[in-house]
Amino acid sequence: MENLDYARLQMAFTLGFHIIFACIGMVMPFFMVVSHYKYLKTRNPIYKKLTMAWLKGVAIFFVTGAVSGTALSFELGMLWPGFMKHAGPIIGMPFSLEGAAFFVEAIALGFYLYGWNKLPEKFHWFTGVIIGVAGVASGILVVSANGWMNAPSGFDYVNGEFTNIDPVKALLNPAWFTQALHMTLAAFVATSFGVAGIHAYQIYKNRNVDLHLKAFKITIIIGTIAAFLQPISGDISAKDVAKRQPAKLAALEAHYETQKGAPLYIGGIVDQENQKVSHKIAIPKALSFLAFGDFDAEVKGLNDFPEDERPPVAIVHYAFQIMVGLGVALMLAGIIYLISIKKKSWLQCKYYWLIFVIMAPMGFLAIEAGWVVTEVGRQPWIIHQVMKTKDAVTPVPGMKYSFFFYLVLYSILAITVTWLMQRQIRSLNQKID
Amino acid sequence: MLYVVLFFLLFSLLLYVMLGGADFGAGIVELFASKNNRANTRDIIYKVIGPVWEANHIWLIILLVILWVAFPVYFNIIVIYLHIPLTLVLLGITIRGVAFVFRHYDAVVDKSQFWYNWLFRIGSFMTPIFLGLSFSALINGKIILIEDHPSASFYDIFIQPWFNVFGLLTGLFYASLCAFLAATLLIGESEGKSKQHFSKSSATFTVVLVVVGFILLTYGYSFEIKFIQDFIVNPLALASVALSGILLIPLWKFIKQQRKIASRYLAGIQVILILFAAIVTHFPYFIITSNEEISILENIAPESTINNLGWMLIIGGSIILPGLFHLMKSFKMIKILEKS
Ligand code: HDD
Ligand code: HEM
Ligand code: HEM
Repeated sequence: MENLDYARLQMAFTLGFHIIFACIGMVMPFFMVVSHYKYLKTRNPIYKKLTMAWLKGVAIFFVTGAVSGTALSFELGMLWPGFMKHAGPIIGMPFSLEGAAFFVEAIALGFYLYGWNKLPEKFHWFTGVIIGVAGVASGILVVSANGWMNAPSGFDYVNGEFTNIDPVKALLNPAWFTQALHMTLAAFVATSFGVAGIHAYQIYKNRNVDLHLKAFKITIIIGTIAAFLQPISGDISAKDVAKRQPAKLAALEAHYETQKGAPLYIGGIVDQENQKVSHKIAIPKALSFLAFGDFDAEVKGLNDFPEDERPPVAIVHYAFQIMVGLGVALMLAGIIYLISIKKKSWLQCKYYWLIFVIMAPMGFLAIEAGWVVTEVGRQPWIIHQVMKTKDAVTPVPGMKYSFFFYLVLYSILAITVTWLMQRQIRSLNQKID
Repeated sequence: MLYVVLFFLLFSLLLYVMLGGADFGAGIVELFASKNNRANTRDIIYKVIGPVWEANHIWLIILLVILWVAFPVYFNIIVIYLHIPLTLVLLGITIRGVAFVFRHYDAVVDKSQFWYNWLFRIGSFMTPIFLGLSFSALINGKIILIEDHPSASFYDIFIQPWFNVFGLLTGLFYASLCAFLAATLLIGESEGKSKQHFSKSSATFTVVLVVVGFILLTYGYSFEIKFIQDFIVNPLALASVALSGILLIPLWKFIKQQRKIASRYLAGIQVILILFAAIVTHFPYFIITSNEEISILENIAPESTINNLGWMLIIGGSIILPGLFHLMKSFKMIKILEKS
């Protein structure tokens, strides 16, 4: 593999690592303030204990998100100087606003973490809300920067020069809204099911059920709502992709031949050499309908794009199937929860809880898959139709070592954080004194 | 607007050097504290630095964002030629950051604390060293821009600019500055024996700082580092360094009289003076490569970007600075109204 490949691997790995912590950092504060609110209302010490436990979780995840994010801000330049040199001045606005959002978040976190019994109760609670809101805002802003890579706007590109720069237009690029909506929902789905699953496991093991049931309820309600909205927003995203990045759409559907009334493939094994998809279920005309809202619309196939402008098909197609499949599964889990509200007897059934335990990592898997769709699907472009990835990569040799360095560092970090979470839960199960 | 942006760039540089520096310094003070004092130091650090810990490090991100948005040529040189030391800076930031939080938020207190503590201390020490190394590479005239020298080796281009004695001295200088700041900050929050302890370490680090600073200047001068040679003949730079030295005397008086706020401001002013001296020497040519001096005011982002960034910084600053001020005040970082 070349330097370029290692640079990509490193980017993908570190972003894939960061996104998990970023999502948790965005959503956990909301759980925390809901529990905190219930404590203030009921003065039930269980809620206090839960709030404090989640708070410790937020602190641990927050710092891991923050340090990996700091590393990313360097990496963006250290790996892709060619990109940052030109793109930096254009997409500076989301990043500078994001800096402000981080700041607000960090200040609020300082107040919240250290403010117990020092600040007025209501103000203290409110600083918790600000952590969450600022977190979501920073998430939306970064995704807008990513949207710009998919749908570059706010500049003129003449003879290799970027002129007439309009930072506001670049921020509000055609992709920003659909992507940010989908991403924010994804963060809520993944984190809610993740946390709910952890508490479901404790209930499954019959430990401190009182507390874990409360925790489960708070998280699963939020998760269910988000899981229902997710496919709707995904459909909007797909229509958007069809319009702005037809090659990506073709790749994610493994659609080789341009066709009117194109069928939708579910599953399937992609043979990139012979451009065939085997073992699939084909639903007639469904792709045309899903992409353009018209059963007979023409969908451009990959063969209509120049060879050096086609993204890798297999990875993108599989990743897309995984994301959609998991999205449907998460929605079904939400339905099971909704039914159990009426059918209380389910709560006594061990398998009921096991379902949520199994669903716990699925949202995060879907997020990783979704990003693979977006990023690999954009290849070979780093800025769609403007700059190729290979023209942006750093001239520094030896990215191989850099990649392995991050691989080792972050693997250790991930293991440590998991281990710390286990310890948190164990101490949570000790009876309230 | 360019000057607004430049102001915020230098402002966040200053605050990172000072606040981030005090943070690193806390770990250094802990590293060099005697065994008996370490546990105590750890608790005081948590109390003093904990609430603002996160915020202190965002200045680095702001600094970086301003660089890449407004000064892409500078940013590019930094991220390409300082790839290796910056990776080590990131390693330091990562391990000290997580170790700090882990040691205070781990639900179980047991032997793992040993590891958290040592990672925190070592990370706190290595980060300013590598920051210093990186900074020195920008000004010591050893960077070889690749286009000019396609024949230069990996070592010449990516290692030799920062891996040298001058760099190490700069790193040590910054590390001792950090420790000096932290010790001065911590004195105010401690009582009795630990107060004595911090006074002692503050004194030690002041001496180290002055000595390392002196060696740095002498070395730079005798080995013809252009930046230092210019520094030494620049009256404004010399005057501010001298002033910062003289201010050590009232600083010690304040510390003795337990005027902790005044002593903090004074230590802050000293850092400002040192930084001012460094900036004024070579403004606006902050990057000195092997064959040219690169002005920060040339090849900047287009005007529309600069204007936009300037407004963002003004608006963002007017939301954040009061919040930050309030945070520091609430947790008694900057102003104590009454003794309680
Ligand atoms: C919990 C996570 C999750 C779930 C359940 C889904 N997605 Fe998703 N998807 C994401 C998480 C995600 C993501 C990680 O958030 C992405 C990557 C980039 C982005 O903006 O969102 C994404 C991207 C993404 C894209 C590409 C957008 C682009 O490149 O601009 C499409 C077309 C879809 N999704 C469609 C769907 C559909 C039809 C789903 C039906 C159930 C679905 N997603 C479920
Ligand atoms: C956190 C979620 C994200 C994940 C998991 C992710 C994943 C990936 C992957 C898999 C690649 C490699 C593509 C390939 O080599 O085929 C990549 C590349 C890249 N991504 Fe993302 N990405 C994420 C978000 C972002 C965001 C928000 C930005 C920018 C603001 C971004 C910027 C880049 C850049 C600059 C590259 C390198 C160029 C390229 O290979 O296209 N990514 N990312
Ligand atoms: C889609 C991808 C991303 C999302 C949704 C996202 C979101 C977030 C969120 C919510 C945080 C707050 C930390 C926490 O609460 O744990 C965070 C931290 C951070 N992120 Fe990301 N991020 C993404 C990608 C990136 C990229 C590409 C960069 C760099 C260019 C970046 C830079 C940072 C930085 C510097 C921090 C630390 C801020 C702090 O100290 O609080 N992020 N991110």
